[in-house]
Amino acid sequence: MSALDLPLREQAGGIAAGEIDPATLLDEALARIEERNPAVNAVVETFPEQSREMLAAAPEGPLRGVPVAIKDEWPLPWRAQRFGAAEMMKAVAPGESGPYRALRDAGAVIVGVANMHEAGAGSTGNVSVYGPARNPWDPERCPGGSSSGPAAAVAAGLVAGAVGADGIGSIRFPAAYCGLTGLKPTFGRSAMDGHHMAAVTTMIVSGPLCADAADARLLGSALFGEELQAAGVEGLRIGVIRDEVSEDVDPEIAAACEEAVAALAAESGGEVREVELAGLPASATAAVLIANAESLDGVSPDQLNRLSPELTPIFRGFAKYRMLMPAAASLKSEQIRTLMRRRAAQAFAEVDVLAWPTVPAPAPPLEAPLVELPSGTTTADQANVRGAGLANLTGIPAISVPVGQSANGLPLALQLQAAWGRDELLLDAAEALERANERRWVECRP
Amino acid sequence: MGTTDDYPAAGLAQLGIEADEVELGVVAAAHALFWPAILEILALDLGDLEREADPDLSKAP
Repeated sequence: MSALDLPLREQAGGIAAGEIDPATLLDEALARIEERNPAVNAVVETFPEQSREMLAAAPEGPLRGVPVAIKDEWPLPWRAQRFGAAEMMKAVAPGESGPYRALRDAGAVIVGVANMHEAGAGSTGNVSVYGPARNPWDPERCPGGSSSGPAAAVAAGLVAGAVGADGIGSIRFPAAYCGLTGLKPTFGRSAMDGHHMAAVTTMIVSGPLCADAADARLLGSALFGEELQAAGVEGLRIGVIRDEVSEDVDPEIAAACEEAVAALAAESGGEVREVELAGLPASATAAVLIANAESLDGVSPDQLNRLSPELTPIFRGFAKYRMLMPAAASLKSEQIRTLMRRRAAQAFAEVDVLAWPTVPAPAPPLEAPLVELPSGTTTADQANVRGAGLANLTGIPAISVPVGQSANGLPLALQLQAAWGRDELLLDAAEALERANERRWVECRP
Repeated sequence: MGTTDDYPAAGLAQLGIEADEVELGVVAAAHALFWPAILEILALDLGDLEREADPDLSKAP
């Protein structure tokens, strides 16, 4: 077995102990990308020279010498981000972004830039200037978006950890579709500077995608710039809601999530409580409207008239439609944000975590990303946003953890959300869940 | 008097935003998808709820 197949933490530990040669590990990662990437299109660019320079200069940090990938969403000193698109709405240039510095200072080696859904505007990853990323569990299915490449890269074993971004579920969706653990941090806790929307976004955060919670903790610690300490989850109070996010879902997902919640409660000696959290559908709409409004920063009609024809018609048309969304709706969305922040705070006075499925159906086909729900057939985007918007709207952290497989072998996932700043609790809970199911789902590989 | 279906194309024209037939099809589809939800948002009665001014999203309200 290659050291590349070890968990991120064991790669780091092996290098620190002198048992793994990081130069060999980097060569293996580059060779693995060359070998496996054509089937999944997860990594869109490698730069062996710069990677070797990072390794040569790597400090004695917690990730020294470990190869990782980063989403095409931040600049690197040798490469500007393309945001998965033929053209960006804002001028960008190579530079030292926050996530780059965080990885560098932890000693990590960026081995490649990972694919993403065009302009971050989709939950499926089937649209990109680089071509769609493919789900390693079934290459004819969506890997999830918009952090499609980071998830596909980890699931395909190209790297053991990758950095994604989550504006409305964009780490959690691909984590769910690819059977990974993906953390959407509390707003503001993880490195974000250098992102072309950093000055205007109230929604987007960087976060880790890894095979399990311990690796997500390690990579997350680098992005947070502080060690995310592990602690127990004794007596965990788990809140569930009776709403479309938990009930209008594929029966296999509903069953897997219900079983996982019960297992987590038993493992922690805790309890499951039904809680009220009215307004989730409105919170999803509000999240979309605020994200759309923020994406219009500095955009003019003239700029929209000069969009590159290489952008997809969906992106061009939707970028233009955004200009027609009423400002009154955006302001109302900010009121809904206030309302939902208060309601979330009330809920977290009663429970430690809220639990519901990350996505309501397993990964849909690349060619037609539609999902079948009890309420009927709908687009994956419409279905997925319902359960994801709350965390981005309110700022709370959320994590997606694998909890099963469908009859046709696709990953199923549970989302846990906690109060502001309790990212560590989510990682603790994810680890408790791994113990409860004897790591069955985090050790599954495509 | 126009219909709501006229709004996307007329709105873009008023803003001086050009769109080809394919883009207009996308715009119409987006409008059909988003407009009902936007109207629901606008119709919500939130009473005298004052939105947080410049909320610190890293913390509870």
